Amino acid sequence: MNRHALYFVLAVAAQFLILAAVPAQKIYTRATGRSVTLKIRPVDPYNVLSGYYVRLNYEIANPRSFANSYDDYQGERVYAILERRADGEWRPVSLSNSYPANLPENRIAIRGRYSYSRIEYGIEEFFIPEDKRAEIEQGLWKNRDQARVEIKVDSKGDAALVRLLIGDRVYDY
Amino acid sequence: MAPEYNRSVKFRAALKREIPAWTEQGILTEGAAGRLRSLYELDDLGKESSRLLAAALFTLGSLMVGGGVISFVAAHWNEISRVPKVVLLFAALLVFHIGGYWLRYRSAWPRLGHALIFCGCLVFGANIGLLAQTYQVSGSWYGMFGVWALGSLAMAWAARSWITGLLVIVTSFTWFVGFADDFHERLAIVYPPLLAAALLPLAWTIRSRALNTLTFLGLIISLPVLALVRFSNERYALIAVTAGGFAAWAAGEFHRATEIRKEFGVPASNLGLATLAYAAYQWSFHWAWQWSGNIDWNHLYWLIPAGFAVAIGVALLAKAWARMDESLRRSAAGVVAASLLLCLSPPLNRFSEAWPTVMVNAAALVIAAVLIGKGIVEERRLAFWAGSLFVATLIVSRFFEYESSLLLKSAAFIICGIVTIFAGVAYEKFLHRREAIAQ
Repeated sequence: MNRHALYFVLAVAAQFLILAAVPAQKIYTRATGRSVTLKIRPVDPYNVLSGYYVRLNYEIANPRSFANSYDDYQGERVYAILERRADGEWRPVSLSNSYPANLPENRIAIRGRYSYSRIEYGIEEFFIPEDKRAEIEQGLWKNRDQARVEIKVDSKGDAALVRLLIGDRVYDY
Repeated sequence: MAPEYNRSVKFRAALKREIPAWTEQGILTEGAAGRLRSLYELDDLGKESSRLLAAALFTLGSLMVGGGVISFVAAHWNEISRVPKVVLLFAALLVFHIGGYWLRYRSAWPRLGHALIFCGCLVFGANIGLLAQTYQVSGSWYGMFGVWALGSLAMAWAARSWITGLLVIVTSFTWFVGFADDFHERLAIVYPPLLAAALLPLAWTIRSRALNTLTFLGLIISLPVLALVRFSNERYALIAVTAGGFAAWAAGEFHRATEIRKEFGVPASNLGLATLAYAAYQWSFHWAWQWSGNIDWNHLYWLIPAGFAVAIGVALLAKAWARMDESLRRSAAGVVAASLLLCLSPPLNRFSEAWPTVMVNAAALVIAAVLIGKGIVEERRLAFWAGSLFVATLIVSRFFEYESSLLLKSAAFIICGIVTIFAGVAYEKFLHRREAIAQ
């Protein structure tokens, strides 16, 4: 193999490695994580690279939803501890700076990051097809209180979006 | 070091036109004319312009195909399920790269191959978006541009592709702005040196003026972005703009004076001068220096890359100085003086509002004088008129900025106008005289 070909193969390999790394964490979390359903309040923008998506706003994105919320630490890692109530709904309990040990069965910790006085968990955008945009928009408008997402949370607290649930309709892409 | 020849199309076309006359007049022998034709590859000039047109068409076509693929991904077309869609786009990436490689290195269509490799890098960006979409990867919007830039950089080096290098500038700059704004402004100071280290050697290796100049443009813009992105201290950002402009100008003068990669000289030097002129004009208004407050020194982290840019500029200028003639040294001294005036203005604003205004206006006039001087000495009409226009713009701006007697303004305008017209006439006469002597 000549020099040009070798460099070329290495560059193509680098691009494929990068492509493999982009979804790796989400694939792992989807495969190994535990299912959690969260209530949402959505808005819908547009991303030039990935197309349309529903921007999801969670109760747990607001630090004040937690009993021990502390002031704005930009870029700080944080673990949000959620508890499953009797009605099956997962509600915020407290925040922790490290992954909590010995969580009971009805609790789970999700890893997040402080950004602009909010906490982000990497599950804030649900990408949708262009031709479903109007339907989803209408559904969200009519069923604002029944919109939920199903996520998976792995053993390290990383979360991955799985599907969007609006009333009795399920959107899984 | 082997001498570098002027390979510009303009020079070679002029040489090609002149050689028959020189041969006819006995200035050149047939043998010497033949050697010149061969050395400058004058018989290939016609073919080169056709090739350039073909390359431009191929690149434009690739840009449109790549844009189409990105738009296809963005549409999130649901008729094809997840796995076949991913396979389809990965296959498209491989087809573009392998096809591009084969055409570039193994066939008579290297320009088409180059365009296909570039298109492959656009498809690579589309694939990142597709994977983010398919696996619902959300997070920082700029992250995708960062990985796109990394993959494209690897390909730009592997394929020695200037156009892919430009894609790296655009994608990495988008990443940089998002990253710096997301509370990483201190960490983001590594971007300007990294951009320079990644792309300037590539531009050097493949002798790409476009890539060299646009990398400098990226550096010039990134410095004030660092200064403004989190702490909007516009007055001190003048130092950042000046540092980038000075470095680009000094690099251009280095190439011009030492004749190493001579073709890089004029565009880089012009870019630097244009940046300094922009900075001087932007900050020449007195209201830019009002409400002077105390600066938080902790917010001046961006002085590190700006300082590096200045240090490299000074080192390049020192290397070039020995090779400069008297007139080049005079104009270089003028640019250095203007840069110093610009850089010293923000600190002085702590004590006075008037002094920085005066100093920046003085710097603007020095830059205008350098341009006019270059126009005269180097017989570059464009530089002369750019300098004259700059002076006129400064005068008109001050006219509207300050409230003073209209009669005084009228007198000032008439005098400046007459002086400018006389200067123009004198310059044109000078050029005509030079042309007559040359003939």
